[in-house]
Amino acid sequence: MQSFAIHNLENHHLARPKRAAEDHSLIPPCQAACPLHMDIREYVSLTAQGRVMEALQVIRSGNPFPSICAHVCAHPCENACRRAQVDKPVAIRALKRFAVEFGGDRMVECEAETTHDERVAVVGSGPAGLACAYYLRKLGYLVTVFEAHSQLGGMLRVGIPKYRLPREVLDTEVERLARMGVEIRTNARVVSLDLLFDMGYKAVFLTVGAHQGLRMGIDGEESPGVIDGATFLREVNLGLKPSLGERVAVVGGGNVAIDAARTAIRLGAREVNILYRRSRAEMPADDVEVEQALEEGVQFKFLVLPKKIRRQDGYLKVNCVRMELGEPDARGRRQPVAVEGSDFEMEFDTLVVAIGQAPQMPGGFGVRVGKGSTIVVDPVTLTTNRVGVFAGGDAVTGPATVVQALAAGRQAAGRIDDYLQHRYPKDAAESRETLVGDLRPETIEMIRRIGRIEPPALPPEARTADFTPIEMVYDWEAAVNEARRCLRCGAGAEILFQDKCASCLTCLRVCPYHVPYVDATGAVRIPADQCQACGVCVAECPARAIVLRRPYDRRQVAGELEHVLRSAAQTKPRPLVVGFCCQYGLFGTGSLSDLWREAGGSIWLVPVLCTANVEAHHILRAFEMGAEGVFIASCGEQCARENTEFWVRQRVEKARRVLSEIGLEPERIEVLVPSDHNGSTAAEQLDAFAQRIGTLYLASILMQEVRS
Amino acid sequence: MAKSSFEEKLDANEFVVTTEVGPPKGCDVSGLVHDIDLLKDKVDAINVTDHQSSVMRFPSIGGCLLVKEQGGEPVLQVTCRDRNRLALQAELLFAHSRDIHNVLCLTGDSVDVGDHKEAKPVFDLDSVQLLRTARLMETGTDTSGNELKGAPQFCLGASVHPGADFIEPQLIKFDKKVEAGAKFFQTQGVFDLASLRRFMQYASQFDVKILAGIIVMASARMARYMNDNVPGITVPQPVIDELATAEKGKGLQKGVEIAARFVKTIKEEKLCHGVHIMAVGNEKIVPDILERAELISVGA
Amino acid sequence: MIVAERKSLEEIRRTIAPYERVLIVGCGTCATVCGAGGEREVALLHAGLRAMEARSGEGWHTFLEFTVKRQCDAEFLDALVDRVREVDAVLSLGCGIGVQAIAERFPTLPVLPGVNTSFMGMAKEWGVWDERCAACGDCRLAETAGICPITRCAKGILNGPCAGTKNGKCEANNEMDCAWVLIYQRLEKLHRLEDMRRYYPPRNFRVIPRPRRIVSKAEVAVGGNNG
Ligand SMILES: Cc1cc2nc3c(=O)[nH]c(=O)nc-3n(C[C@H](O)[C@H](O)[C@H](O)COP(=O)(O)OP(=O)(O)OC[C@H]3O[C@@H](n4cnc5c(N)ncnc54)[C@H](O)[C@@H]3O)c2cc1C
Ligand code: SF4
Ligand code: SF4
Ligand code: SF4
Repeated sequence: MQSFAIHNLENHHLARPKRAAEDHSLIPPCQAACPLHMDIREYVSLTAQGRVMEALQVIRSGNPFPSICAHVCAHPCENACRRAQVDKPVAIRALKRFAVEFGGDRMVECEAETTHDERVAVVGSGPAGLACAYYLRKLGYLVTVFEAHSQLGGMLRVGIPKYRLPREVLDTEVERLARMGVEIRTNARVVSLDLLFDMGYKAVFLTVGAHQGLRMGIDGEESPGVIDGATFLREVNLGLKPSLGERVAVVGGGNVAIDAARTAIRLGAREVNILYRRSRAEMPADDVEVEQALEEGVQFKFLVLPKKIRRQDGYLKVNCVRMELGEPDARGRRQPVAVEGSDFEMEFDTLVVAIGQAPQMPGGFGVRVGKGSTIVVDPVTLTTNRVGVFAGGDAVTGPATVVQALAAGRQAAGRIDDYLQHRYPKDAAESRETLVGDLRPETIEMIRRIGRIEPPALPPEARTADFTPIEMVYDWEAAVNEARRCLRCGAGAEILFQDKCASCLTCLRVCPYHVPYVDATGAVRIPADQCQACGVCVAECPARAIVLRRPYDRRQVAGELEHVLRSAAQTKPRPLVVGFCCQYGLFGTGSLSDLWREAGGSIWLVPVLCTANVEAHHILRAFEMGAEGVFIASCGEQCARENTEFWVRQRVEKARRVLSEIGLEPERIEVLVPSDHNGSTAAEQLDAFAQRIGTLYLASILMQEVRS
Repeated sequence: MAKSSFEEKLDANEFVVTTEVGPPKGCDVSGLVHDIDLLKDKVDAINVTDHQSSVMRFPSIGGCLLVKEQGGEPVLQVTCRDRNRLALQAELLFAHSRDIHNVLCLTGDSVDVGDHKEAKPVFDLDSVQLLRTARLMETGTDTSGNELKGAPQFCLGASVHPGADFIEPQLIKFDKKVEAGAKFFQTQGVFDLASLRRFMQYASQFDVKILAGIIVMASARMARYMNDNVPGITVPQPVIDELATAEKGKGLQKGVEIAARFVKTIKEEKLCHGVHIMAVGNEKIVPDILERAELISVGA
Repeated sequence: MIVAERKSLEEIRRTIAPYERVLIVGCGTCATVCGAGGEREVALLHAGLRAMEARSGEGWHTFLEFTVKRQCDAEFLDALVDRVREVDAVLSLGCGIGVQAIAERFPTLPVLPGVNTSFMGMAKEWGVWDERCAACGDCRLAETAGICPITRCAKGILNGPCAGTKNGKCEANNEMDCAWVLIYQRLEKLHRLEDMRRYYPPRNFRVIPRPRRIVSKAEVAVGGNNG
């Protein structure tokens, strides 16, 4: 009987309560750092359980274009991830990529109804514009996106190289927008906002980005062969093949500089140098990308600053000066200063200047601009000085990131809605607290080190020939194991029922991480910033005063068990064997997946989020409801938490004691592990166990007959 | 009131030899009487144990009466485990009335080691308090200060454990027993003479008689069993090894040899004032030991 | 705190036999702390009883559960007023005091003990409880270095160790420390061995005349100035 197919289970889980007022969890640092405020802990946890479809749902609920972020997000979340205090941050972006690839249809949720008459114009189709259009459309507005280029996407299209963001990915997301009914006007450079209002648009969102390359301001910068980074990448991305010559230099230390250099390599330049006036440590570019650039043969010249460019004999002679780092300034950044008399000359065919970009604003917009030609807006409402005109993205912040642009787009959609509906504009206040505080050294010491798994990538030799995407997707096991590294910050234990707490200190004594403590007033505290959410204290507190902060965790075991018992009751299998199985091992890492194949017939599985949450009374409940045998399958060594099996065995012993008092054999309860001391797999152990239960069951039936 | 013959020998600084018999579980005392007969003329006094190892038996006082009947000199063992101070005082009064004056005052083994584990352990008094109680009664008062009609007289003994693995607290207790009026001490089983010598060096400052306890072992297995199960007893490895050298069925003989050697050395070196031989069930070999130790002549 | 241990299911089954509807009442104080009768144990016992009934095939009881903050004060038992109306008996997982408090509070309600009240003690570590005090009414801790010979010595003797101690353990249980060895060692550290050398006369058991009561409030006359 295979009534227990995976999709059943998934459906069942869909019924899980939504984040509700009773969610006491604190916002983890990853989420706090994410401009989109993504519920990272949640989708990482779902991924760890092998519930990828749900993971993608969570991602979708916060991110209009998950697949784009999955490829190129600058992942501020990872920079904030507390796992870094133990070893390395969780590879959040790569996990998102996994969810996007394995989580199902990308074209879902592309329906939208028009419920408002007002039309909104979005100027610019970068991530900010697209996100705004997406959300306005969802809110029921008619939206037109105006894009000066022939294709949508802004920097996603004309900036980011294809080897990092395959254009099919972008096209799919654009396609979704189109299907939602967003009107798209390409090759449409907007020059006057009045015109838009005249056309009947009631509000305008300006997201023109920052595309104007900044100049170094040195002699010879106008020479042929000198080009700015944004322009260079745009040309390449639009299909032009700029001739670079053999020797290329890129000036700058940011991601654009790296992208330009790696693009140059792919275009066949023999020698590519990056000239940067500070040292490696100060480079703003992403570490992984710097590494990859090195692998691909890009050379870095640090502490070098071009002073003058001469074009001579068809070459660029670049006069440079060596720099050294001076005293830290007020912001703690060490400013480079020229070393006297250290001038030297270098020779290149092409010099790419990638030291930043600024927005370019047609005069007809009439919006106030400030520092670096960026548009000045109110940070909460995103309104400009012109009524009905909102702005966001790089055009407001200067060159930033995709996720910031997406967040600005989403925020703008909400504020434009407020404006059009005459509501007082207010950001939805988050009622939950943000988790602050680092892990204490003592806590860190107790947390097992688990190496970060990087997603697979093409080897350097295979990359540089063309613009093939270089990063690949995790396989199932790698993704799940990586996801299991998450510390579940802020979702840990809480003494919810303070009045019940008997100050017994059980929590203090059982916590594998020594988290609970007695404060100066004598009250027991479980500091949220140290708890690893393992759930041991929750299941041991004799007063049942503690819960895990997330509501569905607290009821998970009992809920799943009842569900299984109800389903089993309908088929009346004999003899019924119920198994509590680590959900991570069952579907996630798959260390118990052979059990799943065994299931069916009289064996029914209850997936639980960590077997440390199974309590003795859960086991007895199964016996009450007709189970002849109960096993707990833990994921053994793979558990990212400490001591789980010890606690499982404690509970089993407790239940066995009661069982023998009832007159049933204690061997009717068993603990299975992925590989026992005889080297048998969980499935083999289950076979033996099922056999044992069969025998005990027969014997008990015979006894009954003898008696009657 | 005349002293008991045992007390006289103690006072006369004779090397005294005592042994012990255990009353039966049941009322058939023929075996006990037989043992008494065998021993009564070979030793200076016979202890009768009081529910030894907390196993319920025929009472000590009953055994003492039998010793008297057979013409021997009894030592009444009294433990605090089973009786409160009323019963203990009553027992002492009764003993005196039957001309039983030698009393070994003991705390008693824990109920947990015996055959009535659910019994209430009384321990209303401890051994030191019992000694003082007896001495108090000799002055004509009971423990509540009431006058006694006719005061008893005792030769009081106590036990001490020279081989204890942690000796200091035992010595404190020893001091307290001396102070409480113990006149003689029958020690726990002594298995190495070094510890006995060390103890005697300490005990010689007191005016009390020390009788070294000698346990006769029937086999190496028994020795190991005692190590694991008998409170306070530790048989040293060399002794166990020596027992193990015995041929099959000759274990007891080896035990007798060892015991005799000990007794002989103690006597010859005047290590202490006498010996107390505990044959634990093999009472009939006690004369054999004494012969081998040349304490009694062959066939005497 | 008071330490108790759940009675066997068999004994509980026997005592509840005459009653159809049984309310299992936990105690949120000592019984919770010692893991014998808090909310979690109530749930476990409940589950155990239900499983027993289901497996025996002849179960006819219904069980309810509830845990009060503390059973040994009538005010906390007010929370039971409505609940006991629904049942034929209460199975208390509180200590003996709790059982009696419930009996006093509900004069016509059968109250059955679900635990054996064992001793007063403390947690040695998670899941291990040691007795520490016998409520003997005549505390000797001043002379015994703060280590109670009444509870921690199998014989409760006052003048030093018996000869049964071996390896620092008690002759009655070789897993438990000999109290007198501990006392000696601690007195030595405190330079107070003379406390052990002193003679201690027989204990005064008179201080526990039963039934016992302690009155700590003063008898005062109110309503007039008697000064
Ligand atoms: C080479 C490069 C690599 C990058 N890599 C990353 C990365 O890996 N991760 C990351 O997070 N960020 C990256 N960024 C930054 C990121 O791309 C931008 O921050 C983001 O695209 C800004 O979005 P936006 O919507 O504000 O503007 P843009 O994406 O710049 O879009 C603005 C759009 O407006 C259009 N437009 C301008 N003026 C008009 C007009 N008058 N009428 C109509 N249309 C107009 C432009 O043609 C453009 O399409 C990178 C940037 C560059 C240049
Ligand atoms: S460990 Fe998990 S919850 Fe904590 S910051 Fe990292 S991803 Fe977020
Ligand atoms: S385990 Fe529960 S009752 Fe005990 S101190 Fe912790 S929260 Fe309080
Ligand atoms: S036991 Fe686990 S859930 Fe409880 S405080 Fe410690 S880490 Fe958190």
